[in-house]
Amino acid sequence: MRVEAGRGQARAAGAPATRAQRAAVGRSYGEQALPWLWVLPALALVLLFTIYPVAHTLWTSLHRVMILFPGEPFVGLANYRAALGSAFFVTALLNSLWFTLIAAPLIVLLGLGVAHLLLAEFRGRFLVRSVVILPWVLPGAISAVIWIWIFHPSWGILNLVLYELGLIERYVPWLTDPSLVRMSVIVAHVWTQFPFAAVLLMAALTAIDPQLYEAAKIDGAGRWQRFTFVTFPQIKAMVVVLLVYGALVAFTSYDLVYAMTAGGPGTATTLLSFQIWRESFSMYNFGNGAAIAFVTVLISLGFILAIVKALPSDLFGDADA
Amino acid sequence: MITRRQLCAMGALAAAGALLALPTTARAQDVTLEFVVWNYSLETIQDNVKKFEEQNPGIKVNVTDYTWPDYHDTMVLRLRGNTQTDVIYGGQDWLPSWAAAGWLVPLEDHFPEVKKYEEKTASYALSDMTYNGKLYGLSYYADIISFIYNKKILDDHGIPVPETWDDVLKASLKLKGTGMEKPIVYEYNQELPNFYDAFVAQVYGRGGDMFDENLEPLFNDPESEAFKQLQWLQDAFTKHQIVAPETHESKVIPAMNTGKHAFTIVFNYVLAAMNNAADQPLAGQFDLAAMPGDAHSTLGFAKFYAMTAQAAEDDARREAAWKFIEYMGGGDYQIAERWAVEKGLGFAQLPLFDDPDVQEAWSSWIDMEKFKQQATQAKNGTWTEWAGIWSAYFRPLLAQAMVGEASVQEVMDAGAAKWVEYRTLLRGG
Amino acid sequence: MPEGARLSRPLIYLAALCLFAFSAGPVFLSFLGSVIPDQALFSFPADWFGRGFTFDNYRYIFTGELPRSYEIRGANRGMISDAARQVPGSMVNSMVVALAVMAVNVVLGAPAAYAFARMRFHGRTLAFMAIVLSRLVPAVALAVPFYLLIQAMGLLGTKTALILVHSVLTLPFTVLILSVFFRRIPTEIEDAAIVDGCNRLQLFLRIVLPLSLPSLAATGLFAFMLSYAEFLFALVLSGDAANRPLSVVMASLARNVDVSWGILNSAIFLAVLPSVVLVAIVWRFIVEGILVGGVKG
Repeated sequence: MRVEAGRGQARAAGAPATRAQRAAVGRSYGEQALPWLWVLPALALVLLFTIYPVAHTLWTSLHRVMILFPGEPFVGLANYRAALGSAFFVTALLNSLWFTLIAAPLIVLLGLGVAHLLLAEFRGRFLVRSVVILPWVLPGAISAVIWIWIFHPSWGILNLVLYELGLIERYVPWLTDPSLVRMSVIVAHVWTQFPFAAVLLMAALTAIDPQLYEAAKIDGAGRWQRFTFVTFPQIKAMVVVLLVYGALVAFTSYDLVYAMTAGGPGTATTLLSFQIWRESFSMYNFGNGAAIAFVTVLISLGFILAIVKALPSDLFGDADA
Repeated sequence: MITRRQLCAMGALAAAGALLALPTTARAQDVTLEFVVWNYSLETIQDNVKKFEEQNPGIKVNVTDYTWPDYHDTMVLRLRGNTQTDVIYGGQDWLPSWAAAGWLVPLEDHFPEVKKYEEKTASYALSDMTYNGKLYGLSYYADIISFIYNKKILDDHGIPVPETWDDVLKASLKLKGTGMEKPIVYEYNQELPNFYDAFVAQVYGRGGDMFDENLEPLFNDPESEAFKQLQWLQDAFTKHQIVAPETHESKVIPAMNTGKHAFTIVFNYVLAAMNNAADQPLAGQFDLAAMPGDAHSTLGFAKFYAMTAQAAEDDARREAAWKFIEYMGGGDYQIAERWAVEKGLGFAQLPLFDDPDVQEAWSSWIDMEKFKQQATQAKNGTWTEWAGIWSAYFRPLLAQAMVGEASVQEVMDAGAAKWVEYRTLLRGG
Repeated sequence: MPEGARLSRPLIYLAALCLFAFSAGPVFLSFLGSVIPDQALFSFPADWFGRGFTFDNYRYIFTGELPRSYEIRGANRGMISDAARQVPGSMVNSMVVALAVMAVNVVLGAPAAYAFARMRFHGRTLAFMAIVLSRLVPAVALAVPFYLLIQAMGLLGTKTALILVHSVLTLPFTVLILSVFFRRIPTEIEDAAIVDGCNRLQLFLRIVLPLSLPSLAATGLFAFMLSYAEFLFALVLSGDAANRPLSVVMASLARNVDVSWGILNSAIFLAVLPSVVLVAIVWRFIVEGILVGGVKG
């Protein structure tokens, strides 16, 4: 039996009697205490592994922690000044920014398109659906191996195919030209991330009540208007989640890009995460590494705030319970 | 109901039993050594360990392995976190800082007999294992950085083996003229220590050095060989466009085997992989040439077995660790010979150069005479407590200069300034 | 079928073909690389199919029997790395860890998500923020404190350590995503159940969970994939080969001079397989659930 009536948020407020009954259920079982039991296991596990590490990183960023020097004196913001003032930091920051600002929306857009496609009826649909999750499975460093093989300037598949097809006369330096390498790296990254977005958007799309579309059609809305006024608001929460997740992943990305280019050519694809690792483990300066990490945290926070503000949804707001 | 008497009796019996179970001082105590390695040919390592255990009952060796690219970083975590570690693979670039940090101990402090191996060890290897005048290890393997070329390509085009960097440029331009777009393939990866090492090897080839005996930088002087070589590299990358970068030596092997490149500079053991007929299409076409430049010298380095301070604190562990280190890196050099013959790993132990088994095994991929010649001309690098972190700072600068993102003078000046800064900080000027 | 899915037929088929090629192409490439001998693979001009196919690489990984190419004269038998033989074992390790992470995420994450979605209590927003924002610090910076924490717990080198850490990494998003899905369940259904006399727990177990099976499956899959593919903490916290996860083995193979391109690609293709099986099992489930429309009477 399918429940037809109004799914989702576009409903008038519930009847008073129901709300009171709901409240009664809550109150009679200890309105305040019981919800915490539901939340505590997850919260406790996450906090256990968050509080100490974050505190440790913060502490490290405020002290001189260098293996070659004994003692770990407090140095205030000196590490931050040193980290922010280095030319490498600015380059890495800019690289991480363009990487994130291009990759995250691209992944969501592609995911949206793929989700729509996979929900359409066509022969072979199941095959395509099954194959879509393949990129998701591989660790970043391994996807990098395959994509190096595809993009390699001398012995890469893409150049081979394009050459054999007569589309190019000379091999294209996909990985060794500073502008082209950025595109190559983004393609590889998007490949590993889009299945996740597609799956979640598929789920979000099918949760939309078809009656809303019917109503809009009756009102004379065209396909694009139906998307803007019906589809998009319904999936906004999921889009926000995916943008936030995508931005965090891209901004702190390490494996894939490192394996593909080692940050090169020159410093064209050196990301912030490389900086953190290099400062800590190659330069033995854990204080600097931690400082860069915290700056990354602040910037990530900025991303999240920007995304949530730009696309208001009920994600972090009050539930209607 | 157990009476007090019975309880006492049982207690006494238990205590007696425990006393009997204790190893007597006459019997050797059971020690388990924690041996940490990078996992090159783990099966061979484990087999060597087993043979050692058979010959030394009472000592067990527990092998923990990490992958080579991550070995250094995970070792830092391990040593900092005080995880039990007794014998490790050490590297020439880490020794000064790890020794200064108190993580490793000089072998000769506890076992002066180790000095008998000094005269049988190649000089660059010996330097690499020495810090503050004391010997810290016995060599696992040693190698040089080699200039490798494709014999067939040079023969086909009538190009003689290059002797100077001018020759290399001339040969490359000639090959480029015949359609070879990038005659040189170069391991270009600012995150890897050997990116710097390869540069030093080239400087040595020219007869120059990075620092003088007072640890003053020489390379920011435009007349120095190091400056000239970086300029040569920058021109090769940007002006003549004869260089194809690869991010790792494992990619250099297939790249050379496409026949699209003629020259490269890598660790010598990579030559063995390049010439492996089992996998490589062009196996047999590659050979080693003396490093171009007037001096034909190159960088030699050693990896070695070292003992941690942790192990040295405990008498039984210290003894066991020394026995193990001597078995693996000293003695009659059986283990080192095995690595050389079975895997083509280079060695620091001089007697092995004339060992017939080694010569026969190596003849399939390298000209032994050339190798011997180049090895005798090899020099060790300048390794101080701060050399490792300085190299991590300098490598991105080198990378930028090579592709023309920064000028050679800028890069050299920045590198020199940082070196002096670290030196002043750590040694007071 | 949602809006917009009714595009023109040829366009749909073209898009589907592109999608198929984009998703599966690279993996298929890897398969080709594993069965075509290296000499053919790197030949120039390209002649990939001139030497036929060989499954020697797979045989080597599973049995240790040297590929035939190593038996020819001049081949250096010692130059093949035994690291590749760790692939099957490490695959099992990774699957065990990933399945456990999946379970932890569902068992701990679903109740928490439901509480955030439907219950009102003091500190709800704070707790929600705490869980979700714990992911802000880049993993690279957490390597040292995580290492110290796990070491203090005596769990270095164990699968348990990875299960704990991976769960911590995935729970924030699991909770976030599930809270979105739980809010989508019509309040009328829950109200009806409450009127019938259900308490919260019964409501959750008997009504909400069954209704959200597709989203639970999707979120569980997400947790599985993230754990299976995770590299940084797998490396930092791993110990010897017995407990080593697949991602660490694969990364070392990729930079090992004694691993031929063929063996590397064999390892890559093997790494993909079990997850494909898992997804094939779970996928029908998700898709069916999604298609029927989430609300069954």
